[in-house]
Order: sequence, then structure tokens, then C-alpha cells
Amino acid sequence: MGERELVGIAGLVVFFVLLMLRMPVGLAMLAVGIGGNYAISLVAPFLRFEPYLRGFKTLTWSTMASYELSVVPLFVLMGLLASHARLSRDLFNGVNALVGRLRGGVAIAAIGACAGFGAVSGSSLATASTMGRVALPELKRLRYDDRLATGSLAAGGTLGILIPPSIALVIYAIIVEASIIEMFQAAIVPGVIAVAGFALTIAVLVRVNPGLAPEVWQPAQPERRRAVLRLIPVAVIFGAIILGLGLGLFTPTPAAAVGAGLVLIYGIGLQLVTGDGLTLERIKASLLETAITSAMIYFILFGAEVLKGFFTRANLPTALADWAVSSGLDPWTILILMLIALIVLGCFMESLAMILVVVPFFWPALVQLNGGEYAFGDSAAFGMDSDQLRIWFGILALVVVELGLITPPVGLNVFIIASLARGVSMGTIFRGVAPFFGAEIVRVALILMFPALALWLPALLSG
Amino acid sequence: MVRRLERIAALWALLGGVGLIAIVAVTTTNVALFAADRVAALSGRAVSGIVGYEDFVALVTSCAALAFFPYCQVHTGHVRVDLFASAMPAALRRGLDRVWLVLTAVAALFLAGMMLQGLLESRDDGALSRILGWPVWPFYVPGILSLLLWAAIAAAQAAGRDQGRAQGREQSRTQAQGSGDG
Repeated sequence: MGERELVGIAGLVVFFVLLMLRMPVGLAMLAVGIGGNYAISLVAPFLRFEPYLRGFKTLTWSTMASYELSVVPLFVLMGLLASHARLSRDLFNGVNALVGRLRGGVAIAAIGACAGFGAVSGSSLATASTMGRVALPELKRLRYDDRLATGSLAAGGTLGILIPPSIALVIYAIIVEASIIEMFQAAIVPGVIAVAGFALTIAVLVRVNPGLAPEVWQPAQPERRRAVLRLIPVAVIFGAIILGLGLGLFTPTPAAAVGAGLVLIYGIGLQLVTGDGLTLERIKASLLETAITSAMIYFILFGAEVLKGFFTRANLPTALADWAVSSGLDPWTILILMLIALIVLGCFMESLAMILVVVPFFWPALVQLNGGEYAFGDSAAFGMDSDQLRIWFGILALVVVELGLITPPVGLNVFIIASLARGVSMGTIFRGVAPFFGAEIVRVALILMFPALALWLPALLSG
Repeated sequence: MVRRLERIAALWALLGGVGLIAIVAVTTTNVALFAADRVAALSGRAVSGIVGYEDFVALVTSCAALAFFPYCQVHTGHVRVDLFASAMPAALRRGLDRVWLVLTAVAALFLAGMMLQGLLESRDDGALSRILGWPVWPFYVPGILSLLLWAAIAAAQAAGRDQGRAQGREQSRTQAQGSGDG
């Protein structure tokens, strides 16, 4: 290992130390990226620092002026407008009207609503927060056990990261230069499996212990009809976006913009007709919250760009790839170790930052392990070509990143639900989440064993 | 002074938000024109989309994205790892936060300075957007102003007068909705 690689590893260690010291993630990336490049220029004088620094004259602007990345604030805006227009409530009430009469049905409705809202918000934390506020009071009213009520909402919140359109999927696709549309298509079947797995988990839990969901929701017929009627426009808007993207009718930016436009128009219409939709104040609040979330994401994206430049100059991804190939370990073992590393890192690192920092390391190693960029079929270690590998690994990586949101000690979704469910301890919520964690492990195993679950739909739709 | 900066940041972010709404309007119009073209094609006619639509989106996004940074700073919205925060003595935590705020201000000033040089070079080179052919340098201006405002807010927070309020906001925001994760 040369001096450059050692500087790279030292930079990685410093980066994690700074994170532990509560430095904002984007700032830590920027500081280590610039500082690391200076250190590299000292050990490898041909990699001069001044020309590198001059790159910043255009780097900030060119990172922001990206048509591809414009999808980020637009999806954030769509999710927040939907939240402020109370579409999340209509979604939950509508799904509840359809399945709420089953034992445990309200918790299953919460999972369904999380999947729907997660799709439009593209964010797991926003999904947990919004649906928690909508569904928790109803679950409490029907005397659902705290573990089941909070566990299902914390787990349901994780669906936002994978079900398309997802900001995390967009970012992953950009990093590994995959087709965003194909990533969206690949995520549909695993997303449906997650929803089915969570619903099945609830059904089994309440069958084994009916005391977890003692009361069944029995609404009056007019109330039920009203809830289903309010669900229709929401389902049409959300369905058009998801299907349009999944089937490749839209590209992501137009889908996000049209989606935001439709939600805005519907929300204003709702306000005019019922007095409970998007007011000017709520639109303003949506824009300001969009500003906070989008700036947070853009800062991490920019920082990651700077950090990536440092690691590339330090030759670290190539060194890791060489080590992986020469280690003598089975490629499948290394893949599983990578997934375990993602779960562990996900326990204390923000998911988007983790994807941006870790994937550029893992991806070149995986390509080498698979037999190189042009490996395919039986000659490839994973039995697939590089294009399929980048899709399959992306889905696997995002599923395990989701797990970090409900894993101790941090489990951000659990924190959010705890802040909404006053009087319920973190331990209770973590215990409530455990069965759903088990369902997720089964899903990871299924996708590992049957890559077609992720690869079938993109292959079918691309002809 | 701090409150005035915060109000400016909120207004600036709303201007960025208006930029996003403009993107929504232009994109929706473009999609509608695209759909109209498909329908018109049945009768052998054609409807053209908005020329340079992608250029417009990229240019406006560059202004909007950076306009959001100062308001995010007002709400201490940039994510960080809080795993060991509870184990730290309060004084150490406050001290570290202050150091990071100073560094944030320095970083924002550095980026603003570099971007100003980029603007001058872009103007001298006569750089144009690819399809619309618009000069690129004017679109650097809102970005530079955003970075300067970001630096000013971080510096004001580091000066201590606003740190408590910002931390309070951060806590209530995290409890209320989470900081977003993509």
C-alpha cells in the first residue's frame, strides 16, 4: 500500500471522527476532501493542490445547475405539499376504509398508507413523521398494543426510501451511472414484497396474540364511503406518478414537477370546495420546509462530490477493489460482508450520506469480483452483467440502509415515532419493530437468492 | 441584526421556492405540449415543446438550490450524527458546535470567493447555456449572495447571540418531522 492510499485511509478515519464530534455531514465531507487533497499533494507532488483548488470556481455552481438533480427539490416539494394538503390523512382514511375492518386492519392500513405516502415523499423520516401523526391517534383509540402500533409505523416509514420515486434511488443511480428509470422499475417488486411482508407480519402477530389489536374498526357506511371517495383522487395522482415512472412514460424531473403541480392544484381545489386544503400559509410552509430539506441534501451531495475527488486521488476505491479480488474470499461472502457493513453503518449514519460515501468504494470492488466491466452470464461471479449488477446491488443496498432506520442504538424512525407517541418508551418501540426487522431480513435473503425479483421488471419493460 | 438576517433568509428561501414553482409551471406546460404533439400527430400536425426547457430548469435550479442554504442554516438543518452527543459534557458540545459554525462561515466565504472568480471567468469567456444560448454568469450572482448570507448567519450563530435559539429550533424540528433523509 502506497503513501497516497495511507493518506486516503487516514482521511476516512478523520471523516468518521469528525462525524462523531457532531460536525455537519456536508461540512465534514468538504473539510476532509480539501484537507485530504492538500495532504496528497505533499506525498505525491505531481498531484498539485493549486489546480485542484481552482476547480472550486465552477464546482459549486455546476453541482447545483444539474438538470438531473433538479428532481430532488421537486420531489421534496411534492411530498410536503401533499402533507400540508392533508393528502396523507385522506390516504390513511381511505386505505383504512378498505382493510380496517379486519383484525389488525388499521395497522395494515397504516402500512399501506406509508407505502403510498413514502412513494411521493421519497423520504423515510418524512413518511414516519407524517403517517405517525395521522395513524397513531386512531391506533390508540382502538386500543392497539403500543408495540404493534408504534412498531408498524416505524417500520412502515422505512418504505419511503425504496418505493419509487425515491430520492435515495436517484442518488444511487447517479453515483453508479445507472438508469434512474430502470432503478425505479427494479424497486417496484421488492417494494411490494415489503408491504406484503409487513402486512403478513401484522396478520400473524394478531392471530397469535389477538390482544395486540383488541378492537376492530366498524365505521358507519356514509363515513366509509366518504373516506373511499376522498382516496380516489389521491390514488389517481400518486398512481399516475408511480406507474408513469415505473413504465417509463415520464422521466423523473417531469414526473416530479407534474406531480407537484397536480398536488398543488388539487390542494387549492380542496381548499376552495371544503375549506380544508392548501391555504397560502400552508403553501408558504411547504416551500420553507422544502428549502430546509433540499439544502440539507444538496450540501451533502456537494460535500460528497468533493470527498469523492479526494478518495479517487488517494486511489482508495481501486485499492479496495484489488484487495477484494486478491483476498481469496468468495465474492458472495464479500457481498454479504458489504451488506452487513451497510447495516452497521446505517445504525449511526444518515442514509443518504452513507450511500454517497460507501457506494463509490463498494461498487468498483463488486465489478472486479464479478469478473470485470464486461463479464456476463456464466463467466460472471454473480451470474449477471455489470448493468444488472448495479441494479441488483442498488436494491439490496437500499433495503439494508432502510434497516438502519429501525436498528438500535440510533434508529431514526424509532426516534421520530417515540417523539409522537408520548409515554411509550424507546425499548417498547424497538421490541415492536423486531418482527418487522425479521420480515426485512427474509426480504434481503429473497432478493439475494432470486435476483430476478429486482431484475425481471426492468428487463420486461425495456423489451 | 440576527433577526433581520433570519427574515432575509426566509424571504430569500421563498424566492428560491418561487423558482421551483416556475419550474413546475414550465415543466407542466412542456409535458402538456408533448402530449398535444402526440394527439396532433394523429392528424399529421405537430406541436413543438418549449425550446431549451432543460437549460431553463438547470439554470433556475442553480439559483433556487443555493438560495435554500441560508434558511437551512437558520434552522440548523444540516444533518449531523448525534450518537455520542448525549455522552458529551454540555460545555464541550457547545464549544464544538461553535467551532463548526465558524468553519461553516469560513467554508461559505471560501465558496463565495471561488464562485466570484468563476463568475468573472465565465463572463470573460462568454460562456453560454447549451440550448437557450443565455449567458451563464448572471446565474452565479444569486448563488454568491446566498453563500454570503449563509456565512453571515453561521457567523452570527457562532457569535453566540443566536446559538440557543437555533438549537431549540433544531430540537423541535427534529421532534416534529425529522430532518429528511432522501
